[in-house]
Amino acid sequence: MNCLIFGYGYMGRIRHRVLAEHPEVQKIRIVDPGIDPVKENIQDLVLPPDNPIPWGEFDAVFVCTPNNVTTALCVEALHRCGRVFCEKPPARNWEEFQKIVAAAKEHPDSTLVFGFNHRFHPSIKAAKALIGEGGLGDILYMKGTYGKSGGKNYRENWRNDRAISGGGILLDQGIHMLDIFRLFVNPLHVADAVLADTFWKCDTEDNAFVLLKSEGGIPVFLHSSATLWKHAFHLEIGCREGYLTASGLLSKTGSYGREQLVVGRRQFEDEAFALGNPREEIIYFDRDESWKQEVEEFICAIREGRGATHGTLEEATEVMAILRDAYKRK
Amino acid sequence: MQSIQTGHPFFLSSVKPLEGLLRYRDYCLAAMQKALSQGSRRRLLSPLDNEKLKPWGKIGTLDYLQCAKTGSLFLAELPEAQVWGALLKEVNDYRNQGFHADIAKTRLENVYQPKRDWIKNTLRLQGVACHHLLELAVPPSPLTALLQEEREFKAVTVLDETSFLLGKEKANAFFDAIVLLESLDRAYDPLALLEQTAASLKKGGLIFVTALVSSGFDFTLLGADNAYLYPPDRTNCFSLIGLRQILTRAGFRLLEVSTPGVLDVEVVQAHLRHKIGLSLSRFEERLLSSDPETQSAFQGFLQRCNLSSFARLVGKKDI
Repeated sequence: MNCLIFGYGYMGRIRHRVLAEHPEVQKIRIVDPGIDPVKENIQDLVLPPDNPIPWGEFDAVFVCTPNNVTTALCVEALHRCGRVFCEKPPARNWEEFQKIVAAAKEHPDSTLVFGFNHRFHPSIKAAKALIGEGGLGDILYMKGTYGKSGGKNYRENWRNDRAISGGGILLDQGIHMLDIFRLFVNPLHVADAVLADTFWKCDTEDNAFVLLKSEGGIPVFLHSSATLWKHAFHLEIGCREGYLTASGLLSKTGSYGREQLVVGRRQFEDEAFALGNPREEIIYFDRDESWKQEVEEFICAIREGRGATHGTLEEATEVMAILRDAYKRK
Repeated sequence: MQSIQTGHPFFLSSVKPLEGLLRYRDYCLAAMQKALSQGSRRRLLSPLDNEKLKPWGKIGTLDYLQCAKTGSLFLAELPEAQVWGALLKEVNDYRNQGFHADIAKTRLENVYQPKRDWIKNTLRLQGVACHHLLELAVPPSPLTALLQEEREFKAVTVLDETSFLLGKEKANAFFDAIVLLESLDRAYDPLALLEQTAASLKKGGLIFVTALVSSGFDFTLLGADNAYLYPPDRTNCFSLIGLRQILTRAGFRLLEVSTPGVLDVEVVQAHLRHKIGLSLSRFEERLLSSDPETQSAFQGFLQRCNLSSFARLVGKKDI
């Protein structure tokens, strides 16, 4: 399998690393006019920026570009290749996203996947396995916090330039938590949202509080932030028979803390020593294979000639609809 | 691999109080002597690496030897194989009717129900549909009824672990999961038991093992004075490294290695109260006489760092 990667920033490099280790991938080429191939030591991999893209040479395309060019590249890749892995967010806004929807409709046999890798994190997979019948029962509520501190170059980052990114922290990072919410409870609608730009003043939100509700009436809440001076990933799921708290994320820097899942059982007075202090287990995870699993599933789908099973267009559509409605409320 | 910590406090008195244990232990040592008098064999080599075991200490009049590389402990003299199963059954019955009789309810809540939950949750986490589960134990086991109550386990078979090892009881099926709770601690031939367990597992099946480990806090501190070390229940006292090694050697890939024990500090304190010969450093004395919050934090530390004496492992049979 020959793969073409557009964009060699943070995500492009991750995808490159994962693809380079995949036994079915023979050739990888990179398109990014903004990098120095010699400095990156990838001279043999980078396609000359001014030359036409040899689409016919590639079996799959990875779009890992800034948001302002993602949609157009995704659309072209669907037309020219038909097997596209597109990083999130798929577009700067709902209207732009419709172009991808239209292109995918024109190519119903295409394989299109969006990069919502967080659902492959071990704590999330474990949480998903433990809810439901025979486990902790139906979900009663969900509450998620996902945020970072920004850092000294935050204002200069393209992710906070509205013209390039289309939005702030909610679109950039909160979108992952929205996708995770959807994994557990679906469909979700925005009940209310408050978006604030109180610290960074980039004309994009640096804090977003989004209140959602499922069709079954389950309340879900997200705090997405670029002013969490201590990076945090925290997802609480209340269930009929117990609760789950996923926190921390396995990451390169480890700044989100050790990835773990607390599993607690509901215990009333007749079962527990102290009401409100139930038995808990904490599962620590030490391997993150989310990037690998995501790409593996995409390559599997291509090999088997089928559509995606995760990060699908339908899922991306639902997440983009939530974002559309949240941004409308600000 | 995942390491698991449990945050549920319970007390030594509710699961294995030292006072009751000492009487039961005396019974076990006497029963052991009686079994040895009918014939014995001496273990010379470590079941982990076949290297020569070195002297370690005595429990009563019985020698324990140590594996130099892993620190695991092994009773030096074993009775004949055909006597072993009967010995385990005898002490099991005595324990159920005596030592554990008054604390059966609290043991069920604090020992067996959490183990059932652990097995159930792990099977779900690993995506293993458990149509057929095997418990290797010295029947009757309090865990059996709990497992059989679970709808998720379509069928639960219980076999006497020694009869299974010696081929007297055969598993007439391949299992999705096999449970050995402290079975390795008392197994006549732990490696052979694990190899036979592996042979009875389906591909992708899981083995659940719990054991007391010699690398844990109370065992390390108390050494041969640890009243919880006695045969036949602790004929083998692997270190955590030793357990990992023997499971790997038997062909399992480890999915979980954890020491979620909550009683190490209390065990040492109980020994101090009974004035069972103990010489502590000033730091150890301060730690063990500190406030409950400090002791709880220390116990949490032992769990997180795999230094508690209670170990829990899950292995997968890949091929």
